[in-house]
Amino acid sequence: MELISKITLILDLTTFLLILGSTIVGVLIGALPGLSSGMAIALLLPFTIYLEPNQAIAAMAALYCGGTFGGSITAILINAPGAPPAAATAFDGFPMAQNGKAGKALGMAAVSSVIGGIISLIVLIIFAPTLAKIAYKFGPPEYFALAIFGLSMLASISSKSPVKNLIGGLIGLFVATIGVHLTTGISRFTFSVDELFEGVSFVPVLIGLFAMSEIFVQASKSELLLERIKFSAIKLPSITEFKNCGKTILRSTGIGTFIGILPAEGGTVSAMIGYNEARRWSKNKDNFGKGEIEGVAAPEAANNSATGGAMIPTLALGIPGSATTAVILGGFQIHGLRAGPYLFEQQPDLLYTIFYGMLLANFIFLVFGLLGAKIFSRISLIPRGFLWPSVFVFCLVGSYGLSQSMVDVYIMLISGVIGFFLRRAGFSPAPIIMGIVLGQLVENSLAQSIIIFDQNLFMFFTRPIAMTFFILTFLSLFYKPIKNLLTERKRT
Amino acid sequence: MRGIKMIKKIQSLFLSFALIITSFIGLGQVATTAVAEEFPSKPIEVVTHAGLGGGTDTTARMLLIRTRKNLKNNAYITPKKGDGGNKAMSYVKSKPRDGHTVLAITPTHLFRMARGGAALDIDDFVGVARTTVDPIVIFVNAKSPYKTIEDLIKAGNKKPIKYGGTNVGSVDHISGLIFAREAKTKIAFVPFEGGGAIMTNLVGAQIDAAGLNLDEGKDQLESGELRVLAVMADERLSALPDTPTLKEKGINASFATVRGVVVLKGTPPETIAKLEKGFLKAMAHPVYQNYLTGAGLDASSVAGSAAWDAEIKKIYKEARAALVSLGLAK
Repeated sequence: MELISKITLILDLTTFLLILGSTIVGVLIGALPGLSSGMAIALLLPFTIYLEPNQAIAAMAALYCGGTFGGSITAILINAPGAPPAAATAFDGFPMAQNGKAGKALGMAAVSSVIGGIISLIVLIIFAPTLAKIAYKFGPPEYFALAIFGLSMLASISSKSPVKNLIGGLIGLFVATIGVHLTTGISRFTFSVDELFEGVSFVPVLIGLFAMSEIFVQASKSELLLERIKFSAIKLPSITEFKNCGKTILRSTGIGTFIGILPAEGGTVSAMIGYNEARRWSKNKDNFGKGEIEGVAAPEAANNSATGGAMIPTLALGIPGSATTAVILGGFQIHGLRAGPYLFEQQPDLLYTIFYGMLLANFIFLVFGLLGAKIFSRISLIPRGFLWPSVFVFCLVGSYGLSQSMVDVYIMLISGVIGFFLRRAGFSPAPIIMGIVLGQLVENSLAQSIIIFDQNLFMFFTRPIAMTFFILTFLSLFYKPIKNLLTERKRT
Repeated sequence: MRGIKMIKKIQSLFLSFALIITSFIGLGQVATTAVAEEFPSKPIEVVTHAGLGGGTDTTARMLLIRTRKNLKNNAYITPKKGDGGNKAMSYVKSKPRDGHTVLAITPTHLFRMARGGAALDIDDFVGVARTTVDPIVIFVNAKSPYKTIEDLIKAGNKKPIKYGGTNVGSVDHISGLIFAREAKTKIAFVPFEGGGAIMTNLVGAQIDAAGLNLDEGKDQLESGELRVLAVMADERLSALPDTPTLKEKGINASFATVRGVVVLKGTPPETIAKLEKGFLKAMAHPVYQNYLTGAGLDASSVAGSAAWDAEIKKIYKEARAALVSLGLAK
């Protein structure tokens, strides 16, 4: 068993401490809106040249794992997803925290993240060279079909009225069209603002729609009732609750690992689709968006399994599976290493270091997450008058820090105001976020497909993978009406 | 009481954390007051146009590691993303011409300038040093019937070649168009989000050919999934001794992803000389050289002020001519 004996690679003290430190730094940075693990790795890159290559790569991989998990903490506690992949976690995580179940939400996030993370790592170490080839099978037509499948759940993504969800989704799709169009180079809705040429950055919109609009909601509550401090807030989930989420976690892990492998997509799309599917198959559909624990388990398992998934094409083909893995590939270069088909034959030790480094990172944030849940959940006990002004500072810093641009801060504030009024009008942020996340993919992949197909859209029929997704989309939209129609006919 | 105390504790922790982060970000905004007498009198700011962790960002960071030691001075990177480098250029324009602000420049900036309406013009810069040179190589799928560049050109005359590259107006796009014009063939340009996506789609046979940097397709070339047909350079690459250049084939299209650093014109010559020396020494150090090798680049990537200054002006001129002839600029 070569695999097991290789655990010695990370067992020396320096490496262990590096992984420990990187994971915790990753969790903290991931938790802060506007600071992402990719950014942290990029900033640390030049310093890693003083480390052994194995140690440097293990530290970066651990930071990546920690960062993906960290985003959920602030998503749950203050409705400010620390990183885009945690956006879907806020849908139900924050309502749970408001209902006095912050500890349960955090505990579930930690456990489902770890399960997702570890399963995807096992897939990575065993099947990477084979699975990586999936990346080649996905051209623009396939991405288009996948994105359409994702969008098919738009109407039912939240328990709000389907019409409002669709309108919200369209708002999101509209926001995604801002900027220079990929295939024509025409700039749309940029109003000569330089910062908008590359599109509206996602993070400020995210912070605005979630956290900033929440601040307005909190500020508009005028009553000065002393809230009874709910000490149940620090309670962790029970074994039954974990058991009930088992299926959801496994399903999300599958979705996350698969979508993670696709180079164009990563944790954010995985979490969205994981959340959608959890709602579709859940018994408590109507509780989604109001604080359903499955709604936390699903996106967390999905976005963390996407880390292992994203590592598959990164290591096996040298194609980054996400923004963060792109930076990790940069780290390979600095150390004179090459990812790619040869890595598995020529440098198995490096592969095992990454595997064990990420595995260890998962266990570290499990411990950190479960112990920390009890401490972090107390944030939900902080009186509103103290908590939300500090969150406001976070919102400003988080949206500015990303690219040090005031335009991003304005985008955040505008999204906050729009988000507030949309929420008052009964809209949920979920479909809007989904529209933004999938909007660009839908548009770009369709535009590319049209060129590839010589303007002939019937060519989609020649693509089996794309057609499979189209059929799934059709079924998910029309299964119920058709079934209802048939049963009614039988009756008459 | 205990509850309140704890709340206060958490609150102060929270705030101090926020403060630390604020000051961390604030580092990028060091005040620009002191008038320099002797260079360098304050930290050097390198302005990039790209995201953290991309090629430009990483190159700048690797360059600065030893530059700090050589100039006995601190240096940091300020990313100013937007509008094809124009955002970075207008930021640099607002700074004093004392050598403490350096712009990391790429063909993106030069093409942006050539399109017109940019904050700065080509004559506003002085080249200090070149950091990387990465010629564009024409790749095709190894299973495709195109064995030579002539095969590809011939095929394009029957049906436009689906040619992958990055966004419209980029060096990939323009080089593809110029190649088609000079070789008298036709291409249908398919833009992708980045080199990785182009390579994947080429291996997956979604497109016929693509202009990539060698490094972006090197693994797939070695594993036999891709084939190289020609290099868009004046001389053959040492890594690809058997691959002809377009120039040898009588096709006048030489394009590369070059990166380097420039300062504003009007910076004292002795300051430029000091900067140049500091950068060149940093790039001769194994730290930078190993980075170049890791990225599949040649040591000859590095060049000094005179050569680099002439080169950016030449690229600009060619870009301008190309854009005008293609009707993309007036």
